[in-house]
Amino acid sequence: MTDDELRQRLERFLASRLPEAESLAVTRLERSTEGFSQETFSFEVELARGGRRETRGYVAKREPEAGLLEPYDLEPEFRVLHALSDDPLPSPPTPWFERDPAVLARPFYVMERLPGEVPIPAARPDGSGPFDEGERRSLGPEVARALARLHAVSLARPDLGFLERPEPGRAAALREVARWSERVARSRLPVPPVLAEALAWLRRHAPATDEITLVHGDYRLGNFLVIREGGEAHLSGILDWEMVHLGDPLEDVGWCTSLLWRAGTPYASALLPTEEFAKLYSEASGRSVDPERLRYYELLAVVKMAAIMLTGIRAFRDGRTRDLRMAIFDHQLPFLLAGVAALRGWLPGA
Amino acid sequence: MLIPPEELLDGAVATLLEAVLPALGTRFARSQLYAVVDVLRNLRDRVEPRCAGLAAEAASAEAALRRAAEALRPTAPAAAESLSRALDALPTAPIAARLEALGPALVAAFETLESLPPAAAEAAVLARSALAGHLAAQALRDLAPLKPSLLAEISRG
Repeated sequence: MTDDELRQRLERFLASRLPEAESLAVTRLERSTEGFSQETFSFEVELARGGRRETRGYVAKREPEAGLLEPYDLEPEFRVLHALSDDPLPSPPTPWFERDPAVLARPFYVMERLPGEVPIPAARPDGSGPFDEGERRSLGPEVARALARLHAVSLARPDLGFLERPEPGRAAALREVARWSERVARSRLPVPPVLAEALAWLRRHAPATDEITLVHGDYRLGNFLVIREGGEAHLSGILDWEMVHLGDPLEDVGWCTSLLWRAGTPYASALLPTEEFAKLYSEASGRSVDPERLRYYELLAVVKMAAIMLTGIRAFRDGRTRDLRMAIFDHQLPFLLAGVAALRGWLPGA
Repeated sequence: MLIPPEELLDGAVATLLEAVLPALGTRFARSQLYAVVDVLRNLRDRVEPRCAGLAAEAASAEAALRRAAEALRPTAPAAAESLSRALDALPTAPIAARLEALGPALVAAFETLESLPPAAAEAAVLARSALAGHLAAQALRDLAPLKPSLLAEISRG
């Protein structure tokens, strides 16, 4: 599908969802290069209604032909985002979901574009992290507090009732280990022994929790929208909810503080030392952060990313994607396996 | 590495032709891209894994499994025998096949350790340490040839 055809199809779709618009045009359509999973299109809609003209920014997320989190189902993510559209949490208001392949060939949803930019989650050319000191100091606490807010979303609300709720106890952790074990198996690639041992360890040591909350599942540096001004940085959006589920809230904390997102710094998500991040989260949530349980979820985070990479490598080997970024996971995986070895205490420096 | 070199090169060529070429706007860029494709196609059948590295890796894994078996022999002789039998059943050649078979043998060894009775706990710790020592060293050896990542540039586009 060419960009022009995509634009025309989006216009027809939006006209059906905004019947009060007297005229409507999609402009500034761009495909994002940042995501590794769903296809992302950013665009503006110029519309006239009630005799007035206005321009609105939107982002469409479409199911990819092959990707890191297959098999795909965008609907749960859409339903959560739609439910949270009026929540103070800075998640993008998300009005529309469409499954009909006649519209854009594959299912997609449309959300409002929030202000801010996604920081490149990597060290700068001079080796420093992606944020200056003032930016880290202003953004870090906001990120910790927003996570606490996310975990405080009421699960009693009926629009979130479709999410499967694990029983209190070890079920939440065990379900995640099973989910990622299954993805490793589904890749049909030789399982690196380090990864196999780590999965077995995670099964044996699954921690118990009495608290089940909404879990974002991918709460980390590359999924934050940030506004930088006056030497500070502020959180304006939380994106990419495709791994959202109910579970142990410390799973999100461990993902965010894991070695995956440090971007050349010693800090959780390149923002704050892990202990400080955990303390801020703890103060905001009223929930203690047990270091041992956090360590467990930091290991699960690396294992989970390894499973995601194996899925990408499989898609590439099967010829289901021509995205060479999937192939370079073959060169990233050894770093993860060394990370697993470090977290298991076999190598120094985790 | 989980993608054989020839598959990696075939995939790179396909990406260049199917995804990159249509986006190129000048004749010079297109001619350079075809030249890269020509290079990659001719490189494809000349690339082989370095056998010396494979042999050393296989020897390290085998030694770790033997040390684990020896650690288990006094208190868990059946488990030790199971590890030894797995080693004996490995293909001796080619070296790539031997190395590939050693991976599942290591995984099976960890599973064996999981099933040991408490009386063999001390031996299991020693055996686990032997296996972990090999895997940690292997993890570092796997990192050594990798070039600095261009992920930041890939993300920026």
